[in-house]
Amino acid sequence: MNFTFRRKRISGILTVVPANVRSFVEEMKNFNFPEARSLKLKEVMGFDKHRLVEPGVCISDLAVFGLEHLFSRGLLGPSDLDALILVTQSPDHFIPPTSNIIQGRLKLKSDMLCMDINQGCSGFIIGLVQAFLLLEQESIRKVAVVNADVLSRKTSPKDRNSYPLIGDAASITIVERDTEDSRIHANLKMDGTRNEILMIPAGGFRLPSTPETAVLNDVGDNNLRARDHLRMDGSAVFNFVQVEVPPLIEALLSQAGVPMNAVDYFFCHQPNRFMLQKLADKMRVPYAKMPSNVVENFGNSSGVTIPTVITFNMKERLLKEKLKVCLAGFGVGLTWCAMLLDLGFLDFNNIIEYQ
Amino acid sequence: MNRPEFYQRLAEILDVEEVKAEDTLKDFDEWDSLSVLSVLAMADSKYGIAIRAEEIRSVVTAADLAGLVEAKQK
Amino acid sequence: MKCIFRNKRVNAILSVVPGQESRFDDERSNYHLTEEKARRMKKMMGLDRHRVAPPGVCSSDLCVYGLQQLLNEGTLKKEEIGALLFVSQTPDYYLPPTSNVIQGRLGLGHDVICLDLNQGCAGFVIGLMQAFMLLDVMDAGKVVLLNGDTASKLVDKHNRVTYPLIGDAGSVTVIEHCAEENAVHLCLKMDGSRHRALIVPGGAFRMPSSPETLKLAEAEEGVVQSLEQIHMDGAAVFNFTLEDVPPQIEEVLSYSGNSRESIDYFLFHQPNQFILKQMADKMKIPQEKLPNNIVGIYGNSSSVSIPVNITHNCGKQLRNGALRVCLSGFGVGLTWGSMVMNLGPLATCRTVEYEAA
Repeated sequence: MNFTFRRKRISGILTVVPANVRSFVEEMKNFNFPEARSLKLKEVMGFDKHRLVEPGVCISDLAVFGLEHLFSRGLLGPSDLDALILVTQSPDHFIPPTSNIIQGRLKLKSDMLCMDINQGCSGFIIGLVQAFLLLEQESIRKVAVVNADVLSRKTSPKDRNSYPLIGDAASITIVERDTEDSRIHANLKMDGTRNEILMIPAGGFRLPSTPETAVLNDVGDNNLRARDHLRMDGSAVFNFVQVEVPPLIEALLSQAGVPMNAVDYFFCHQPNRFMLQKLADKMRVPYAKMPSNVVENFGNSSGVTIPTVITFNMKERLLKEKLKVCLAGFGVGLTWCAMLLDLGFLDFNNIIEYQ
Repeated sequence: MNRPEFYQRLAEILDVEEVKAEDTLKDFDEWDSLSVLSVLAMADSKYGIAIRAEEIRSVVTAADLAGLVEAKQK
Repeated sequence: MKCIFRNKRVNAILSVVPGQESRFDDERSNYHLTEEKARRMKKMMGLDRHRVAPPGVCSSDLCVYGLQQLLNEGTLKKEEIGALLFVSQTPDYYLPPTSNVIQGRLGLGHDVICLDLNQGCAGFVIGLMQAFMLLDVMDAGKVVLLNGDTASKLVDKHNRVTYPLIGDAGSVTVIEHCAEENAVHLCLKMDGSRHRALIVPGGAFRMPSSPETLKLAEAEEGVVQSLEQIHMDGAAVFNFTLEDVPPQIEEVLSYSGNSRESIDYFLFHQPNQFILKQMADKMKIPQEKLPNNIVGIYGNSSSVSIPVNITHNCGKQLRNGALRVCLSGFGVGLTWGSMVMNLGPLATCRTVEYEAA
């Protein structure tokens, strides 16, 4: 589906990452592979360190920490928030929605909308689309899009396909109306026939968690996983991204009447450096314009990687300048989407650590 | 508040002939979660007040309950 | 939050309930209730029968069945579907989203936008709101709103406070553009500081599933539950419903320029007959205008109770004509949302029984 939004802007982005850093070299001993082979994989894929939450830490903890940071520094007024959109796959509870828990912990007003949307890798873009939809309503003037996931807690430490890449994080993006007649173009596609490529088989209602679903099994490639754990078909994801994402971005740019070289940066979801460099090659975009350094520094935190790549790479630049950027999300669903917008003159654009 | 009228209403909820001020609520056969809801409904519709779950749990006698309602009416 | 939506209408509503019906009288022995207490409970809460999905049947199955019915009957065509919303508290997985799984099962096109929203009792009203907002930015196409919950999987058979009232169901609502203004007025509030009143403490990330979280305990007499089941503070929910909802009904009536007399039906979420009667009395709404019978026929199916209320009580009227209705969903969150709209005539408005493929 194509969308065009007018007179909306992002006014600030904050990323919250756990203070706890783990490195691939430390974790290598958990895998059933010879060290030399693992180190080779590290070079090729580009893993190094990742940020993981301590046991028991949930997304509402990260989100509340981030919002309190903004409130205490006067960057956001609690009563100014008319909506809180939480995009996550790792809620605190099945009932009630985690966005209400955050609302309660921060004592936010009752005259606001709180929504939990289940989305993964495309979650930042989908959260923004939801914010833009809400801002069309007169009673909504300021929206907080909170993307957060703690999927390391559902990833097997003995699964070398997934564990080194995974990261936990949260981001808070403030979206409001723009006085300028700015245009935002977006294109979203979804293919549910391939939904099993990225999944957690047990834990929902199709297959509830039991002691059996927690048992680690060798899935045939020397990696050990339980049905409670995240399962990713790496090569299927790679093929999907190479095939579907470039045409989507081209179609988006063409629809917006913007040539590829007019885009300052491509801020993409960060599955790993290898995949992103191959994508950049295919699209003939220089690596400098498509940063791919999030996984080796923080890990892949699903929907949060896009705000992470922005805050990590751009920092104060986006406070003083305005850039034409293309966001791209792709993964769980399967979903693939892109958004073209002017981003800049932000009130804040930084990363903080959660202790 | 008209206490006799309150105790009479309580007696209807608990399906007994009468309720005395010093009666312990837990001793009534029908003092269960359903009766508690009926008391909450009565508090709202007849006395215009809301009683919290914790408050109901801390009440022992019928007189305690009447006192609780009176305090909230002020 | 207050909004007005224009030029949108509901075209069809189909409720899907499990085929097997269970009776309170047959289940009574699970609750260790005396005959007298059981009689009292039945009378006060308005209990009689309810529908519970068999093991292995999920909310998405009930919704897919309903959607397939509408497609088979020609009430809806696949190519007309522009967006698919799945509103539930009982999704198939943590990931992928269940709306994508449904998209795959039905072979819907890649341009369909699929969204999973976690919502409970207010989920039909919030789902309609979402559908209206999406239609505002869609040039063509319809929105399919699926509400589905199998909350029976979150309640123990021996829990006398929750199990007799629980119901499983799914619904499919088709929403489209229309030329007429057809204004819809919405008032919505949320109070997360009271979120503990309706909660499933364990099973997700705050308290992961373990042998401990699966253990059943008797919190008080007759209230048998594990940490992975619904914990309800009955008094808190009751007070909330009586204190917060009536003022919102006044607000939405006034906002939409309506009165008790100009509304044909108040179609509310159906927690139990007792609270609905109290609400009707408090708001001085005649009992005939505020149906309270759904819990005793199908059970309380969370966000689906409003569509089940609509199809069961007003199906025939809505197939043949229009009604001005006030919908209100209240509960989990805590959230309360009310909507005034003209509804009907609908291409279909009925209840069907789920049949496994």
